[in-house]
Amino acid sequence: MAGVTPLYDALWEDYILWSLFVGAITFGWLYHHTFYYRSDDGESPNVDDLKVGVFPKDYDNLRLEVTWTVLPFILIVWLTYISWAPLDAVWSQTGPDGYHGSECMEGESSNNYVDEGGYVRSDCYHVMSIDAQQWFWEFDCMELAGDLCSTDFATVEGETKPLLNLKAGETYLATLTSQDVTHAPKFTNFGMMEDVIPGVETNLWLPATEEISFLMLCAEFCGDNHAYMTAQVTVNG
Amino acid sequence: MSRRLVIFSILALAMVVAPTVTSLPSGISGVKDTGCNCHGTDTSDSVIASISGLPESYNASVTYAVTVSFTGGPGSEGNANIGGFNLWASDGSFATVDSSTQLTGPSEATHTVEGNDQSSWIIEWTAPDSGKDVDFVLHTNSVNGNEGDSGSSGDMWNKAEATVLGFGPPPPPPVDPFKVLATLILVSSVLLSIVVLYVFYRNNPDGFEWEKFAPWITEWLTSTDHKKIGTLYFVQGLFFLGVGGIMAMMIRVQLSSPGNDFISQDYYNQFFTLHGTTMIFLAAMPLIAGFANWIVPLQIGAPDLAFPRLNALSFWLQPVSALLIFTGVFSGAGADTGWTGYAPYVVTETAHAGVSMWAAGQLMLVASSTLTGINFLTTIAVMRAPGMGWFQMPLFTWSILVANLMLFLSIPAFGVGLIQVYLDRTIGTGFYDVSAGGDPLLWSHLFWYFGHPEVYVVVVPAFGVISEVVATSARRSIFGYKSMVYAMAGIGIVAFIVYGHHMFTSGMSPTLRFVTMLTTMLVAVPTGIKVFNWLKTMHGGSLVYRTHTLWTLGFLVTFTLGGISGMFFPSMGMDVHLHETYFVVAHFHYVLVGGTVFGFFAAIYYWYPKMTGRMLDERLGVLHFLTGFISYNALFWPMHRLGVVGMIRRTHTYYITTDDFQALPEWAADWNMMISISAFLFFASNLILVANMIKSLVRGEKAPADPWGGWSFEWMTSSPPPTPSFDPHDIPTLKNANEHVANEPGKIGKWFQRLMVADDTVEEGSH
Repeated sequence: MAGVTPLYDALWEDYILWSLFVGAITFGWLYHHTFYYRSDDGESPNVDDLKVGVFPKDYDNLRLEVTWTVLPFILIVWLTYISWAPLDAVWSQTGPDGYHGSECMEGESSNNYVDEGGYVRSDCYHVMSIDAQQWFWEFDCMELAGDLCSTDFATVEGETKPLLNLKAGETYLATLTSQDVTHAPKFTNFGMMEDVIPGVETNLWLPATEEISFLMLCAEFCGDNHAYMTAQVTVNG
Repeated sequence: MSRRLVIFSILALAMVVAPTVTSLPSGISGVKDTGCNCHGTDTSDSVIASISGLPESYNASVTYAVTVSFTGGPGSEGNANIGGFNLWASDGSFATVDSSTQLTGPSEATHTVEGNDQSSWIIEWTAPDSGKDVDFVLHTNSVNGNEGDSGSSGDMWNKAEATVLGFGPPPPPPVDPFKVLATLILVSSVLLSIVVLYVFYRNNPDGFEWEKFAPWITEWLTSTDHKKIGTLYFVQGLFFLGVGGIMAMMIRVQLSSPGNDFISQDYYNQFFTLHGTTMIFLAAMPLIAGFANWIVPLQIGAPDLAFPRLNALSFWLQPVSALLIFTGVFSGAGADTGWTGYAPYVVTETAHAGVSMWAAGQLMLVASSTLTGINFLTTIAVMRAPGMGWFQMPLFTWSILVANLMLFLSIPAFGVGLIQVYLDRTIGTGFYDVSAGGDPLLWSHLFWYFGHPEVYVVVVPAFGVISEVVATSARRSIFGYKSMVYAMAGIGIVAFIVYGHHMFTSGMSPTLRFVTMLTTMLVAVPTGIKVFNWLKTMHGGSLVYRTHTLWTLGFLVTFTLGGISGMFFPSMGMDVHLHETYFVVAHFHYVLVGGTVFGFFAAIYYWYPKMTGRMLDERLGVLHFLTGFISYNALFWPMHRLGVVGMIRRTHTYYITTDDFQALPEWAADWNMMISISAFLFFASNLILVANMIKSLVRGEKAPADPWGGWSFEWMTSSPPPTPSFDPHDIPTLKNANEHVANEPGKIGKWFQRLMVADDTVEEGSH
């Protein structure tokens, strides 16, 4: 239902399933008690003999309390476990142990694909850089060939914005820098974003798996024109 | 008499009519059929006058070079003089370019003596910005050059007219949102003053005397009684809940359609910043403090708080800090950094000047909260009634204890950050200036080290309220009292080690990412225990659905939903997509509004009879609940999906997919409109609560000491309680329905008590 990337969708579906499960128990319980324990006649008999100035008698059940401590704990450990691999995939390390190999040689292609788990894997990656300023993006394809990566300008809603052309099947590692304040390039259709902080160099994987053209946005408040700091990203075949 | 009236009316009418008469542009002397003449007496068709250089329609304030000329007539080269002109414009202004022309008025020009020898002249015309059409009238004279008495005989003249179109009616001046906001705040203050006066009147309708007003209001301004201070906090909190709500509505109007320009980016950024700051610091925290002040001393059997004057200081710091925070607003340059005020934007010059005021005001709030923390921790530690050990305190008091402990330990970090921001902005230190070696991430750490415990500070008291209301509504003991306490304590501790989850996308190390993911997920365990305990409390009870019970059930729905949606963020693969989107906005509004605010609505309906001695109207209460609950869900539930499809928060507008690029789907615009409408409905529904509260004050049913059948000490006092709330020499002793009670503190308890009290006697509290 989410329709973002296969990695995201897989996680989302798992979480929604468990949310529905927990929700069904909680809300089912709530609705049942709301109707079943409703007073018929407007009278509210003092079930536990509450008296003003008297601390009420204990009402507990160790077994139940341990159950609903341990079971949610197990569920949470499970949810953390299934989130671990995606964490490694999104912030993959470089090199042979990572998901995207090492930097591509001249003429080499990433040949990225989505594996059964929903993770994007590549043979190698291309390096590019993105520089952020108030209030526009500057893409730098560095040494990449024209068909792999090129920059241009496009007119978006009557305004001229930077345009980044990428190639489908290629994976890019973008080095992010900022000239002034924090920004965050958000690549919605790649399901990726990372903050860019002045004085710090951050990195972001851009796995371009299919042909698409989408609007890239700034996702960290950076001042007056934050909403208008957009760029178009086109992934060509 | 009637004659005088008639004469007076005629004079009055004349005075009204006279100024409306205007003179003809062509003057009033020498008028002929063809208009007035300059020198000669006859017009002639052989003279052709022309105006050129005028645009078809003008742009405001632009200067055009206009050429006026004529052909024909007796004027020709070789004459002593050739000709002249007079040019009049209905609007705009002329300027000469050479000595051949002169101005006879701001928009009237003619030739000079030197300019007598030409048949064409150039003059500059600057267009007005009124937008109205401008008419030009040119008279040119073709002179035959014969000088002497009849110097103008034989001259011929003619006229030409031209109209330059304007650009339509002038645009209405843009509304200054700050003027609107300031007007709204001033109007509300006036209304508040009227309410205060009315309340004073109702106090004693028959004995109303102005002389009594000064002592009455002074009593309120200088009181150190926890009940009065609680009421003051309460009034402040509700007032700013309304102000924050108005700002939210401005935000929602702007976002109701894509590309909207209801308010500019500049103002929008200030409004969402102030919405956040107002709601958290000036609305939620004071509402909590209001109930804490009122109820905690009553529940533990204390006559007042440990430090009553410090308490008054804590309160009065708040409205004054509000003035500071809003000063930035009234200057038109309020803080525009988001309530989280990320560095380095917060210390740059592009952020408005009001940021410094905002930081200063919040420093006062830090002081207020720190003092409140000292006060409540001391009060709860040493002023409990006999028989009330730690594990015999009511759960609301426990929740205030945990909240104040968290607040006290976390807010100083925020204070440090604010001081650094303030110094950076005023005296040029370099804490957050990268070029000076500063680190913007330091702010993120300081802020979120405070910010995360802060959100638990505002929600844990709501937990306390819910525990009280569920148990009393079901007429049962709360299920699992001890685990409720441990769960709250657990939340309080874990709150400090999860703040990194606000910084997942800021380049964290992978190990820390994983650790923070795990700890954040773990917070759900104690919270889940509490939810299940509340549900089990209802089991076997016999519930009557009064309004406080309804709001509690509403809380159980919305807070659980908010908690579940919060679980999606620690899963990193999803956080990288959901961070800074409307999914975040949906989540925190579900836990903050659906949690804290609903909890405090329940508290209002539960404790209002105790605090004012009047019952609230149940029918209005149910109406408030139904309209509020439904509009609230219509308002915030759709935001989840909008966040998943990529709508970013804190943006002035949003983009819909076009043929060229993918962005938000088509339905995002309609959903935003629906959310905006629901926002207005939710705001309106809360006015029902205000009406209910005022109506009850005036003619509500008198409340008994214990209308709901609760067990804690506040229900022992009258409604409203006397001052001091308990006789210090006759504090009630808490009895216990359970037999085996460890009233004796253990080793740690004894050690702790030795820290607190100088004397040997453990029972003595401070006064």
